[in-house]
Amino acid sequence: MSTVTASGISLAIDWTRCDGHGLCARLFPERIAADEWGFPIIAGGALEDDEIRSGRLAVRSCPRLALTLTPVESPLRHR
Amino acid sequence: MTTLQLPAAVTAGLDRSPVPAYVVGTPRLLSATPPAVPERSLRWLTDATRDVALLGRGGAAFPVAAKLAAAGRRAEVLVNGCEGEPASWKDRVLMRRSPGLVVDGALLLGRALQSREITIAVGDPASAAALRSAAAEREGGRRVHIVPASSAFVGGEVQALVNGINGRAAVPNGRRVLPSERGLGGRPTFASNVETFAQLALLAALGPDGYAEVGTAAEPGTALATVHQTGRPLAVVEVPHGTPLTALVGSSGPVLLGGYHGTWSPTPTLIVERHALRAAGLTWGAGVVAVLPAETCAIGELARVAAWLAAESAGQCGPCVFGLRSIAADLAGLARGETVDVAALRRRLGLVDGRGACAHPSGAVRFVATGLAAYAEELRAHEDGRGCGRRTVGALPLGTLTAGAGR
Repeated sequence: MSTVTASGISLAIDWTRCDGHGLCARLFPERIAADEWGFPIIAGGALEDDEIRSGRLAVRSCPRLALTLTPVESPLRHR
Repeated sequence: MTTLQLPAAVTAGLDRSPVPAYVVGTPRLLSATPPAVPERSLRWLTDATRDVALLGRGGAAFPVAAKLAAAGRRAEVLVNGCEGEPASWKDRVLMRRSPGLVVDGALLLGRALQSREITIAVGDPASAAALRSAAAEREGGRRVHIVPASSAFVGGEVQALVNGINGRAAVPNGRRVLPSERGLGGRPTFASNVETFAQLALLAALGPDGYAEVGTAAEPGTALATVHQTGRPLAVVEVPHGTPLTALVGSSGPVLLGGYHGTWSPTPTLIVERHALRAAGLTWGAGVVAVLPAETCAIGELARVAAWLAAESAGQCGPCVFGLRSIAADLAGLARGETVDVAALRRRLGLVDGRGACAHPSGAVRFVATGLAAYAEELRAHEDGRGCGRRTVGALPLGTLTAGAGR
């Protein structure tokens, strides 16, 4: 049995890049919703360990390279 | 001269600027005889700014001592005189009236940090001319570069300003890059608002004890405010911290504090002091204090500014571009007496908050959300379709005011 732990890694969006294609919300709906204009809304803070895989998939699928996985307290964290 | 209904403490009307300037108590920033500014070490300035708890005067109120420590020795100096906030005139009044104090503060920092470059970014030509002659009169003044810069609202945001001076598009970065890490020419940079530099010059001249002779214990010294009050031209006022807001705008609210990224308070019950205002969920921001005239439609005034804020988006971030546009449309509909889904409007205000590369979307929705809360009665009247029966006079200035313009 595996224990689920917070990874210390969270999703971050570079809003200057994001064009609201919406792939991330379709691939990782547990954490990413789309607002009425199609732009992502990220729920919660650090991903659980078993969510990292979905997170990576969403990041890789972003056509604008706007989504990243970032350490929660990184000073370079996007706002 | 315009008669200003300020308290008896107002000592003088200083009329060398198109916007009249007044002083509550003894003038410091607006003194006709500014003090000589001695040389001070970085160590001295770091200690002194910590002693008097000096906060940056551009709006974000970042502690100056922390900013000095982050920038470190050999950092470049950037003085932000863009004043893109249309309701604010305090920076231009300061630069036109007391350019020497601004240049002295910049030179003081440049020497203490051993900077290679000292740059003052200004949009207003009269301010630039005043600064240029003040620099020419000073030893080392040739090191001061006065550069024209955008007075656009977002263009004056410090990341956007640094990008513009570095020859790139004057828009904020996608990744947050502090000037203290990478600023002018990619080098660490101490960047702050013009008033911060004038305060630093005063602090160097007066010493921490002298500086703290006026103001409150939590926030010693004075501040510049741009005051918009019914029935008189806008004015810039230097006030000691601790001055009641009622001394500036009377006792009837609501009152806008900070500017178009600021907050509306239902009543002007507090004092001019960033800590006290922040504790009440309010902001001093760029020092704008405004009350609307009774004859105007408050919802219409909010709608006008919201439309302007939407248009001022740098256009980079979706939630800012689309969110502010639809919020402005909702407000315009309300003002015209159309049926608007106010619950949806509130949801949109929450959706835009915090979702952009700079503070513009968050500041814009803070202005609108607190405005709707402060004018709850007017909002209800418009929601019902009754309307408030008043027309929108356009009391809050948008864009650049021409010299001498009141309201």
